[in-house]
Amino acid sequence: MDSNYLLARAKDEDLLKKGECGGAVSSIFQYLLDSNLVDGVLNLSHGEDIYDGVPTLIEDSKDLVQTCGSLHCAPTMFGDLIRKYLQDMNLAVAVKPCDAMAIKELEKRHQIDSDKIYKVGLNCGGTVLPITALKMIELFYEVDPDDVVKEEIDKGKFIIELADGSHKSIEIDELEEKGYGRRVNCQRCELMIPRNADIACGNWGAEPGWTFIEIVTEKGREIVENAHKNGYLEVKTPPEKLVNIREKIEGVMIKMARKFQNKYLEEEYPSLENWDEYWNRCIECYACRDVCPLCYCRECDLEREYYSDSGETAPDPLTFQGVRLSHMSFSCVNCGQCEDVCPMEIPVARIYHRMQKKYREQTGFIAGMSEELPPLFSPEKE
Amino acid sequence: MKLTHTICPSCSVGCGINLITQKQEAVGTYPYKRYPINEGKSCKKGRECYGMITEEKRLLNPHIKKTSLVGSNWDESLNLAVSKIKSYEPEEIGIIGSGNCTNEECEILKKFATSLGAENIGYPAGNFPNFDFETGNLNDVENSQFILITGNVLKEYPLIGRKIILAKENGAEIITIDYPQKTTTGMISDQYIQTESIRQFLDDEAEKIQTKLNESSLILVSKLDNKEELEEFHQMAAKSNSKIIPIMKECNSRGAMNILPPLSEDELKTMINGMNLLYIVGDDLASQLGETLKKVDFLITQSTTLNQTALLSDVVFPSACWVEKTGSFTNITGNTQKVQQILPPPGEAMDDATIIMKIAEKMEIDL
Repeated sequence: MDSNYLLARAKDEDLLKKGECGGAVSSIFQYLLDSNLVDGVLNLSHGEDIYDGVPTLIEDSKDLVQTCGSLHCAPTMFGDLIRKYLQDMNLAVAVKPCDAMAIKELEKRHQIDSDKIYKVGLNCGGTVLPITALKMIELFYEVDPDDVVKEEIDKGKFIIELADGSHKSIEIDELEEKGYGRRVNCQRCELMIPRNADIACGNWGAEPGWTFIEIVTEKGREIVENAHKNGYLEVKTPPEKLVNIREKIEGVMIKMARKFQNKYLEEEYPSLENWDEYWNRCIECYACRDVCPLCYCRECDLEREYYSDSGETAPDPLTFQGVRLSHMSFSCVNCGQCEDVCPMEIPVARIYHRMQKKYREQTGFIAGMSEELPPLFSPEKE
Repeated sequence: MKLTHTICPSCSVGCGINLITQKQEAVGTYPYKRYPINEGKSCKKGRECYGMITEEKRLLNPHIKKTSLVGSNWDESLNLAVSKIKSYEPEEIGIIGSGNCTNEECEILKKFATSLGAENIGYPAGNFPNFDFETGNLNDVENSQFILITGNVLKEYPLIGRKIILAKENGAEIITIDYPQKTTTGMISDQYIQTESIRQFLDDEAEKIQTKLNESSLILVSKLDNKEELEEFHQMAAKSNSKIIPIMKECNSRGAMNILPPLSEDELKTMINGMNLLYIVGDDLASQLGETLKKVDFLITQSTTLNQTALLSDVVFPSACWVEKTGSFTNITGNTQKVQQILPPPGEAMDDATIIMKIAEKMEIDL
């Protein structure tokens, strides 16, 4: 295994059949659990249906099959779950690029122990909010969302599979122009292949029934090699042509993301009057702070007495959003969780992503990617 | 670590949340984005609702009053409660449920009262009366062209507030009525009618507003000064074919209303004043009616925590939280949602229905 690129699939028949792209990711988890290198695997499983991705901790490799198959309608975040509840465990985790970015920032801040965690990256072209997906499938596909057995994002299309095996697909561009499709954060995200994880896995450049794996770290190389040596994984070298295809797809996606960044963060960026209106709705519920994977101070400045308001009206944007922005914006990984959970529909992530981009231009620090801490980081947290 | 879907018990909207448990203990919540009502968004109360389970003052075993409240066991406490209930005439016994009880618990409490012959039964419903008119749903809020609101809905019921914001973004006109102080809901409204009382609005300005109402309008009533006012808002809606949603407080206010009589504070006071024994299930009545409760001879309470009502009681039975039992809540738009047991009740606590049945059994009442 000299190359950093390889094609892999499961040896286990069940995982081969039920896993995505030949079940290589599930097999690596199986190897890690069986060989006691980890105590648990954090991944998503289906809740009530394919639109309901539930973070699930698997401690016995027999249960891995629950987490087989990819879910594109599950905009979850694992960073804070690991920090809060799984710190003591040796853990393997399936990460989207934004999960990997959050984890990386938390590792640098000593909130997650990098020695205890294997990050198996999943290529990601973006996720769709579950309720948006339901509405979109009814409206544009004219299908009862309950009849959909599988969904997929491929070649710029959102594809649904019905119980009878038939497929329906619509261009994502078309859906997004009408306000559906991927979350706006995902549209702006330019990290599709998580090279901030130990390995990056996906179907771009893969032969059908195989997973394309890019090895990123030494730790990543070790687990893939050993999963192979111990009979969990079948591997082969991808032909040059496939490597190029993958690179091309990535290039196109990044270009598209930059176009969307320009659209949402410049051309259609809310005016000051718009922001006034947004901040006026704020009910000071702290949902944005509480969901932010990187916001973890035990004593939050926002709750200090000298910043507190009457509570009946919106807080002063300067001492609420302003303070949070000054603490967090340079570290923003554009995961979009703050916007997802805001009960008042304030497009919070836009201002954070925009600030991080400006910060990046000035300092070169890229949140979630750079090895060092942001230049303005204050270690006096807790 | 495990995530399990449940319904938020903090208010009457009925949002979905994921409860995070670890080693059979509640440790947090996680957004439940697949849930149609709130799509993963929750208010602070909602996100922190697991605190009800882990609350320091959780009652783990029955208590009885000797000189002060002391720990007891089920046998002793049940025997004491039952002998007291038997010693009073049904007319001297008052039974009070709660909008926090499940539908099933309300049913069984009502059955118990009926079997006992006790007619003084109800639950604290604030200023909201029983009603049986049809109400709008949450999509109606979002799709309305005009919304009339009483109270600070954005702050108190943020996930309905969100629908108001979405309607506003779609161009809806918003008018809010509230007391003179500024509120978030008032501030985002096109017109903010600051009034001394809801009555004053109904007398002075309702007529003018009536002309704005039509079939694409909605009235959200979260604040009333007294029961009769709801019917007036309903009449405004009926006359104009507008939709209406009364927003009561507790997670099962609407369900309880269909089973037990809703009582205002004054009605509760009057009822309690005539009673010698009071049996309270699931409500911290002393927080609003402490002085009135002190006059009752004998007080039996079922509570999850050692709250003010429990402290005033002669017998306290420890009860289960919403995720420690199975049942259903009916939300403000009449949607009945199941809640499943995720955790065992702590210590010797039991769910309210089981406790009621244990009392009934000892009284040889067949439920």
